[in-house]
Amino acid sequence: MGDLFLVYKNITRNMLRFSLNTFAIVVAFLLLGILGSINHAFNAGIELSADDRLVTVNKVNFTQPLPLGYVNKIKSVEGVKDVTHANWFGAYVKDSNHFFAGMAVDPESYLRVYDDYIAVDEEPKKAWFANRQGAIVGEALAKVYGWEVGDRIPISSNIFSKADNSHVWDMVIEGIFSGKEANADTNWLLFHYKYFIETQTFGNDWIGWVTLTTQDPSLNEQVAREIDKKFENSFHETETSTEKQFNKSFLEQIGNIGFIITSVVGAAFFTILLIVGNTMVLAIRERTREIAVLKTLGFSSSRIFKLVLSESMVVAAFGGMLGIMLSYVFVGGMRNAPGIRNMLPNLYVDSSIIIQSLIYIVILGVVTGFVPAFRAMQLNILDALSKR
Amino acid sequence: MSADVLFELKNVDKKFVRGKETITIFEDLNMTLDRGDFIAIMGPSGSGKTTLLNMLGGVDRPSAGKVTFAGEAISSLSESDLAKWRADHVGFIFQFYNLMPMLSAGHNVELPLLLKKMSKAERHKHVAAALKLVHLDERASHKPKELSGGQQQRVAIARAIVTDPDLLLCDEPTGDLDRATATKILEMLQMLNQEFNKTIIMVTHDPEAAKFAKRQLHLDKGQFVDKEI
Amino acid sequence: MLDQTFAVIVMNVRSIPDRFWMSLVTIIGIGVVVAVLLAFLAMGNGFRATLQGSGSDDMAIVMRSGAQSELNSVLMAEQVNLIATAPGIASDQSGPVISAELYLIVDAVKRSTQTQANLPFRGLSIKGVEMRDNISISEGRMFEPGKNEIVVGRAVLSEYEGFELGKKISLGKAAWEVVGIFDAPGSVFASEIWTDGLTLQSQFNRNNSYQIIRAKLANAGDVKPIEEFIENDKRLNLEVGTEKDYFSSQTKGTGDLIFKIGIPLSIIMAFGAIAGSLNTMYNSVAQRTTEVATLRAIGFSSMPVFIGTLVESLVLSLIGGVVGSIAAYLFFDGLTAATLGASFTQIVFDFQINSATMVNGIVVALIIGFVGGVFPAARASRLPVVAAFSAAQ
Repeated sequence: MGDLFLVYKNITRNMLRFSLNTFAIVVAFLLLGILGSINHAFNAGIELSADDRLVTVNKVNFTQPLPLGYVNKIKSVEGVKDVTHANWFGAYVKDSNHFFAGMAVDPESYLRVYDDYIAVDEEPKKAWFANRQGAIVGEALAKVYGWEVGDRIPISSNIFSKADNSHVWDMVIEGIFSGKEANADTNWLLFHYKYFIETQTFGNDWIGWVTLTTQDPSLNEQVAREIDKKFENSFHETETSTEKQFNKSFLEQIGNIGFIITSVVGAAFFTILLIVGNTMVLAIRERTREIAVLKTLGFSSSRIFKLVLSESMVVAAFGGMLGIMLSYVFVGGMRNAPGIRNMLPNLYVDSSIIIQSLIYIVILGVVTGFVPAFRAMQLNILDALSKR
Repeated sequence: MSADVLFELKNVDKKFVRGKETITIFEDLNMTLDRGDFIAIMGPSGSGKTTLLNMLGGVDRPSAGKVTFAGEAISSLSESDLAKWRADHVGFIFQFYNLMPMLSAGHNVELPLLLKKMSKAERHKHVAAALKLVHLDERASHKPKELSGGQQQRVAIARAIVTDPDLLLCDEPTGDLDRATATKILEMLQMLNQEFNKTIIMVTHDPEAAKFAKRQLHLDKGQFVDKEI
Repeated sequence: MLDQTFAVIVMNVRSIPDRFWMSLVTIIGIGVVVAVLLAFLAMGNGFRATLQGSGSDDMAIVMRSGAQSELNSVLMAEQVNLIATAPGIASDQSGPVISAELYLIVDAVKRSTQTQANLPFRGLSIKGVEMRDNISISEGRMFEPGKNEIVVGRAVLSEYEGFELGKKISLGKAAWEVVGIFDAPGSVFASEIWTDGLTLQSQFNRNNSYQIIRAKLANAGDVKPIEEFIENDKRLNLEVGTEKDYFSSQTKGTGDLIFKIGIPLSIIMAFGAIAGSLNTMYNSVAQRTTEVATLRAIGFSSMPVFIGTLVESLVLSLIGGVVGSIAAYLFFDGLTAATLGASFTQIVFDFQINSATMVNGIVVALIIGFVGGVFPAARASRLPVVAAFSAAQ
């Protein structure tokens, strides 16, 4: 028997109370795990975006087109390494509920610019370059729809039509790419710009946006300024920012997700703090006499303080760990739900959330245990023993 | 006055402030106590016998005056030194046993040993010895609620002696027990006094119980009424 | 029996102050859960109400088939002219009541975050403005066709920088003057800026293209004649629906998401509150063991004891529910938020808490109170009578 055994015996003496406390704590940490993962997934796009990639969009708004000629003009700006362009296609299969990210690109330059992101083997790469109707898809997307190399798939657009008024493009899967970094989002499809622009009816030689890499990230600002200056007072003025800034400002438009999540987790923890803290105070009050006896036997006040505080720490740790484990299960299940996967491809319990949970466990344990531990420490033996 | 003085109380005052009133329990109380003695302190309720016991046990302090234990002034020890002193020198036996309900008899007895630097094996040896002494070695794994009142008090005695203290302080140790059981407990205390040379101070209002002590002291209104103390 | 029940209820409820902190914690716990739930409901309802308030049943929207939202749709002038001849569209002295509209997105700086956000820029005719019922100019005047003038919705003025009356804003190549501010209560139009359709076409190089056509229906809700007309003409690869249906479908993504996330979250939190409530009530029962057993000993039956304990729990949860609802109302009702809608544009909406949502919150509180009270009540009603005669410990 040691102090930990005493703590264990004290915790388990009222199993009902212990279970209810544990349950409340599990709920709080489950929420933290799930919401923290959602928040992390929202921000993952920002974290994964490269610092040395710049995006040039129409200054009016990124949904406004740019002329194709801009690509070569941007290439001539000093400090630019590689340039490519893309058009948002509004892709879906079967019906419009099965939408996903599809982009019409210039294959060779696109893969150069995204060299650090997209991993695709040499052979399918060549096959894609050679086939005008060819497309490559990310492994996550291929898995969802069961696509394999060689499949011919009709891909619809919710924006564009062909001359015959249909909005279905036939494409052949020539390759399946993966992300070079773990957790990279691969829920997208790339196909030939030429195939797209020559068949759609909106007009020729326009592009959605330009993506470029610079020779050195330190040149980013200068290059961005240079590009925007070049097109100043033209019919299509541009706005160039890093990919990271671009993704961030897009996310901010959805609303302050971080704030909502922090509020809910905060409310949950506040409630759980009250419930567990109050139960701890109560549990210790019930044991007033026992604590007085321990003190009489010669247990020092500081040791009593530690005993009581460890009790709340163990309760917090037990419930907290259980909650984290449960959030693993929940988040795992959510990740495989189609609707969520589309919106949050990077949903998983990140190690940063585990660390956050561990810190919260310590805080919860200390805050709920401090008052009763302090009271136990201050307990007057005579008063406590004379009450019966 | 014998050569081996264990306790000495010198000019001890004890006063409580309740509201505007000051209640005096002791005023200028003096006494000495020898090692190996077995004293029964008797007196009506309110006479201050429990307060005296608490001061001797280091859970209460005099308002003025000095309590010396084997030459050490315990009345001026700090709170934490006092706790350590209790752990080293005193075994307590209460009227209502005060065992930890969630711990087995064996673990209850082991409790004070957690305050000693002792290996697990040593602790178990001591616990076994103490329980054997109170004839409860077969009940070591029972919880207090599975034991009778007499058995619980024997567990409490084992807990009090397991650290081998010089002093046993008993507050109405038989107050909650029937006569036959009480006699067994008192015989046990007597045995501890005679065979193991434990100094025992017992507060009781039961004259039958007091007969087991070597001598009896009577308190009334904060003063000893006996001629010789 | 009734008297007995009443006596126990009074006894229990009166003893709540004895367990003040414990009871307060239960009330706050339940209150927080209710407030969080109501916040989500208010957000979802506000978002839905704004989109649904934008659509009317006697207006049809025609867009390219499969487009799903205004932004994705493209129509050419000749298609507009064809639709104008379709049956089922109301007419006035100047012909069929239709409005071909151009819909662009421009960047504007949000006041709250100081970041750029997508603002809808709509080009339409004066007739198109007049077709909308609940639009009124509250400051300045309407734009004049052919001039670079804009009118802005009330929410644009409050949410974005630089749209005050008389200001000039550079959007694309041109500078546009704000000549008016319009009210469009409870509708998405309040977060749009409007100008003359033909001017917008020329300034943004859109030739003769539009995004959608609004058409006033001859018979409210009846789009069948237009539908048939479209089907019989190969040149019209279009689809038609009422404006009301269009905006309802727009609530799907974001609106559903708010409910899909908010409600499960609130349920999980409610379980936590139930745990707290159970703790309180078991404790309450434990504290009153002697009293309850004494009542049973003098002849009270177990039912009043059961009901009395349950009522105590329900009273606590009711207080929690009311407090939570009022707090949610004070904090969230009327709060303005903006998010991306299905058209990739910002939709400004108000949180809405009405009496119905508050009742929902209180019902949830009572459910928590019921579950949190029924098990402790069962324990109280089964307490052995002998407990009255044994010591309190």
